Amino acid sequence: MSSAQASEPRRAASAPLRLRRAAYLVAALAIALLPYIFTGAYWRTNLIVCALNVMLAIGLDFVLGYAGQLNLGQSAFYGIGAYAATLLAMRLGLPFWIAFAGAVALAGLAGVVLSLFAMRLRGHYLAIASLGFAVITYQVLLNWISLTQGPLGIYAIPPPPALVLPGLPKIDFHDLAHLFHLVAGFALLSYFVLDQLVRSPIGETLTAIREDEVPAAALGINCAAWKVFAFGVGSAVAGAAGGFYAGFVGTLVPDAFFITESFTILAMVVVGGMGSLIGPAAGAILLTVLPELLRGIGDLRLVVYGAALTLVVLFLPGGLLQAARLGVARLMRPDKPR
Amino acid sequence: MTAPAPSALLQARGLCRSFGGVRAVHDITFEMPTGTVFAIIGPNGAGKSTLLNLLSGVLRPDAGTVAFGGADLTDTPAHRRVRHGIARTFQKIRLFKQLSAHDNVVAGCHVHCAIPAWQYVVHGRAFAQNQARCRDEAARLLAFMGLGGRAQVAAGALSYGERRMLEIARALATAPRLLMLDEPAAGLNAGEVEALVDRLQTLRQNGLAVLVVEHNMDLVMTIANRVLVIDYGQPLFEGPPAAVQAHPGVIAAYLGEAR
Repeated sequence: MSSAQASEPRRAASAPLRLRRAAYLVAALAIALLPYIFTGAYWRTNLIVCALNVMLAIGLDFVLGYAGQLNLGQSAFYGIGAYAATLLAMRLGLPFWIAFAGAVALAGLAGVVLSLFAMRLRGHYLAIASLGFAVITYQVLLNWISLTQGPLGIYAIPPPPALVLPGLPKIDFHDLAHLFHLVAGFALLSYFVLDQLVRSPIGETLTAIREDEVPAAALGINCAAWKVFAFGVGSAVAGAAGGFYAGFVGTLVPDAFFITESFTILAMVVVGGMGSLIGPAAGAILLTVLPELLRGIGDLRLVVYGAALTLVVLFLPGGLLQAARLGVARLMRPDKPR
Repeated sequence: MTAPAPSALLQARGLCRSFGGVRAVHDITFEMPTGTVFAIIGPNGAGKSTLLNLLSGVLRPDAGTVAFGGADLTDTPAHRRVRHGIARTFQKIRLFKQLSAHDNVVAGCHVHCAIPAWQYVVHGRAFAQNQARCRDEAARLLAFMGLGGRAQVAAGALSYGERRMLEIARALATAPRLLMLDEPAAGLNAGEVEALVDRLQTLRQNGLAVLVVEHNMDLVMTIANRVLVIDYGQPLFEGPPAAVQAHPGVIAAYLGEAR
């Protein structure tokens, strides 16, 4: 980063409470209206994928952007959540929401176990270890055929059961609009929980660990325990995304959780801007929608997509968030361009 | 030397630490009472920073014990020693560079944060009170260290002297009983050293014990109540500052022996 930016500290707790409340309200309103603006099944499907990717990205960002742990295992936690929710419901006959809670807990537990094993690793070494975990998980899903049916996949997974509230019409999640409301509502809830956490002393604690562990310990921070915590939370959120994925797509194959998924999620976080939650959420939406918008230009879309990614990383190391901040700063001071 | 005084805040007994074949610290024993400034001096490579790392828990000793406030902390990890009241700074400044000066200090306040766990997600009254306490404490400490106007500047963008002061402010945020400073005056100009001495004296008057590893002899002679000289990892002399200056062994260690 250039020295000009370095004098601007990274701050999370800048937006006043009233503004944040208004933002949550706008987000909730947008979630309510979006499936009625985009009424086709194709775009409604994309909307749900956006919501899932937002969860995956903010979950990873909690580990990477705040605690500073380069975790490439997010695809595995996603997969563990998806398979756990499906198998708990299908094999054990558990109700969907209990299976879902179990999937979230199992994915979180997997994150805790991985971080315990990788305790002494950081940076590139942690990246390789977590990538190894993603490869192992993929291979287990592929080869434990008696449990997962391997490459044959699991079919006809029902969506979450219909919600019956007294005095209201039945909410059936076969309807993609309702399913979007459910998944996006949960994404917003995840965002709220993570946002509250990073605005609490936990946010400063994780950031201190990201910046330098030795002085963090000298301030009384138990770095090992907090890294385990961050991994647990980040992978639990990924597990929740997985739990919805199965019922949404209706089919589970291990290839959906191949390691490339980890890199896609990483790209969303980096393009959006690590170390904030709004950045990776925006990055997830952009990198989900952009390839779809580019379908018109055929295979060239992969070139455009790759070039766009490279340009962002080269010229906006702080991601879209940095671009937005620079834009706002310029608007505030029209006479003094930087 | 007298028998261990009951008022001793910090007691080091027979501390040893080797790196491969190098005996960085060998059989160092000392104790410091509360409310004093204790200086550790010695030539480069004498083992001063290693000793500080043993006392703060960054390193574990091969032999020997560390006791603080009557509790044996030899096997206590660094982060838990902070709860007992030991804070430190680093010779090579280690701030959280991307955070503002204010946030660096706030990060130090959280060790004594005691709000119910659920309030981390649903911010309630205890949470707000804790945030306000941290904010006020950080503002007070920044002002005390002369950084009142620099609170919102990223730590990495501060001047060298300001960074040294910020590291002390951050350490003080943990509300320590013992503050250990590793070469706090290194790289400071004369005016900055004077301000530092002033503040250390204020802290001592407020009952804080200060252990300082330092090369700046003016600073040591001005504020230290007691000085420990080490050379090649071993204690060479311990006594009041005036006696240190006259001690032939110390002069020999620093300047070489006259033939």
